[in-house]
Amino acid sequence: MNEPAAGCEFVEESPADLASAEFSSLYAENSRAIYYLALRFLGDPQKAEDATHDVFLKAFRKRDQFRGESSLRTWLYRIAINHCQNLRQGWHDRHVFSNADDAVWENAAARTDSPLRVLEIKELGQRIQKTLDGLPDEYRLLLLLVADEELSYEQVGALVGQSPDAVRGKLHRARKVFAALFEKNA
Amino acid sequence: MKHQTKLSQEQQQQSRQVGTEQQAQQQSAREFANAEEMLRYDAAHTTVPPGIAQRLQKSTGDLPGPKMAWWKRLLGGTNP
Repeated sequence: MNEPAAGCEFVEESPADLASAEFSSLYAENSRAIYYLALRFLGDPQKAEDATHDVFLKAFRKRDQFRGESSLRTWLYRIAINHCQNLRQGWHDRHVFSNADDAVWENAAARTDSPLRVLEIKELGQRIQKTLDGLPDEYRLLLLLVADEELSYEQVGALVGQSPDAVRGKLHRARKVFAALFEKNA
Repeated sequence: MKHQTKLSQEQQQQSRQVGTEQQAQQQSAREFANAEEMLRYDAAHTTVPPGIAQRLQKSTGDLPGPKMAWWKRLLGGTNP
């Protein structure tokens, strides 16, 4: 029976420490992406903070279930999307709201993808939020995911349950509607 | 001649001021080709609240099993 030598017990390289190091890296590399998705999808910094905490806690608890069939980023996004959609569904049942009106949708169809100009950078976040709040959930989520350069159209499609071609088509429409609403919110 | 020189200096100073203001405006103005580019910029300027890591430290620490110290690295544990 081998016994660990005195003073050598699991100081730096125990499984627990390795798991800790991996989770630390996971958080460091992905927390901004997950927090940003939650922030702009939910539109509330406090709720986004709570959601990000809950997403990483779920990931920590279920880390043994990750089979490597997708990237870690995609796996985290899947947890985050489910979590945020559940939260939004709960609110939506209580408060039905939309900033979009019919005229915006009609104008959006005729617009091209013109450059979006912003003069006051500090107001950009508020204006983006207001614009995203006026989009259908599907478009909002699509734009937020495509904005992550680490995700391919295939990965985005897998996350939203669409083919890559469908993602491209919907993205085109989402861009137009976003641009129209963004101009309206100036 | 002296008067002209003075005017010229004032004009140059005004011109420099206008130029500086224009430069400041140009620096604060951004142009984005599409929504994703704008969101990317917005995301890059979004700070993750440090409170999340602190809460996770407590949450994961409360879980049964080996004590997890992943947060130590995140909260300055890697500093010498």
